[in-house]
Amino acid sequence: MWFVRFLTSSIGKKFLMATTGLLLFLFLCTHVAGNATIFMSSEVFQSYADELHSHPLIVIVFSFSLLLVFLAHILVGLYLFYENRQVSNSRYAVTTRVVKNSFASSTMPYTGLFILAFLVVHIFGFTFAPHDSLISVTVKDLLSNFFYALFYILAFVALTIHLSHGFWSMLQTFGVNHPRYNALIARLSLILPLFFLLIFGGIAFYFMSGLGASF
Amino acid sequence: MSSINLTLKIWRQPNSDALGNLETYTLDSISTDMSFLEMLDVLNEKLTKEGKDPVAFDHDCREGICGMCGAIVDGVAHGPEKEVTLCQLHMRHFASGDTIVIEPFRSRAFPIKKDLLIDRSALDRIIQSGGYVSVNTGGTPDGNSIPIPSPQAELAMDAAACIGCGACVASCPNGAAMLFTSAKISQLCLLPQGQVERKERALAMVAQMDKEGFGNCTNFKECEAVCPKGISIRNIARLNKEYFKGIFLEG
Ligand code: HEM
Ligand code: FES
Repeated sequence: MWFVRFLTSSIGKKFLMATTGLLLFLFLCTHVAGNATIFMSSEVFQSYADELHSHPLIVIVFSFSLLLVFLAHILVGLYLFYENRQVSNSRYAVTTRVVKNSFASSTMPYTGLFILAFLVVHIFGFTFAPHDSLISVTVKDLLSNFFYALFYILAFVALTIHLSHGFWSMLQTFGVNHPRYNALIARLSLILPLFFLLIFGGIAFYFMSGLGASF
Repeated sequence: MSSINLTLKIWRQPNSDALGNLETYTLDSISTDMSFLEMLDVLNEKLTKEGKDPVAFDHDCREGICGMCGAIVDGVAHGPEKEVTLCQLHMRHFASGDTIVIEPFRSRAFPIKKDLLIDRSALDRIIQSGGYVSVNTGGTPDGNSIPIPSPQAELAMDAAACIGCGACVASCPNGAAMLFTSAKISQLCLLPQGQVERKERALAMVAQMDKEGFGNCTNFKECEAVCPKGISIRNIARLNKEYFKGIFLEG
């Protein structure tokens, strides 16, 4: 079957990583837009959350699709990591990396796993939070805890590092590499992750620092 | 002409099955005008006179075009100079008193035969799996009568510069052969002669590449950085596209 052959080939697995990565990236775009309403007021944020949850079907379909995409991204990613480890486990007595700035690319599985740890905390904190208080109140309560917010910010830093390689890598995997656009792609690979850090991290900082005390 | 004194640490391994180890040698008054391989020749002459086994290493043209030579020098494939093969690296890039660590190109798909000599036939099998170009081209056509746009011809020529030395595989943290395979695919898919078998070729060469036990590319870019011919990873992006077209339309 061509489909099985595709998904078991080296390039097919890269395609899965890139496609699921792109979907996760698009999810982040919607999530960051929704959460940015926190900066307006607790009422705006609460009404956004209420509006979202007044369409249970949409929420359920999206949540399950997202779960599938996450699982595919994480499992294929870890599988590739495992396969590649077998090919080259400390091959040389002396190894000198010629490429500078390879920190993000060589730490992809680790930043990824850190994001996974964050997701577990995040989902248990908010999605499965007891429903006796408003979500806007839960957000404020949890993130006003200094260490809880610090953990959030560290996870967003990991996400920024992950995406600073991932965004470019995704386009390269899809075959997008042209001298006319490469400078733009390099810039976007820095700006877009930093934008996520600014908004997501900003929310955590807002409550952590007490700026959002009257939220 | 100046000369330098060196300490060499070279990987010695009697055969594929033996365990190897790094041996230390000292070499005095090496001319800085020598190439790296000539320096190894001097060492081998010395070893032979002492009745010891000379260091086995691959080489042929010694002018950077055949792709036979290559070793990891202080952790970098083909040594510290950019875009040169080991035979074109000169000893003026080293200083007196330096210790140079020389190891063979390593990959699961490149068994070591002896010392620095490796079996790179996996790369040949990838080329073979691509098959022939089956168009009947007749006699030698007049160069100017083949309508190929110049930028296209240049890209194909850049890809065709690959000499198959294996430095990309040896330097890739994942031991992937994507840069090599992408160069071989690009040099054909960019030209009219390569169109007929274009999709089949991409599918067959990638399948062979995976079968040989090379790793998966994670876009580290080390391959491009060490390539003695400056092959760009833009070819890898092209290979991905060629493979997608092949698998979705023909696979
Ligand atoms: C918000 C969450 C995430 C987003 C937006 C995201 C996005 C991406 C993108 C765009 C890529 C590039 C794909 C490519 O190389 O073509 C990537 C690669 C990768 N991701 Fe994620 N990722 C996320 C979470 C995770 C998690 C939780 C893990 C857990 C292990 C993970 C592991 C990896 C690995 C190992 C790679 C490298 C794959 C490779 O280079 O072949 N990611 N990610
Ligand atoms: S010996 Fe031919 S390229 Fe070095």
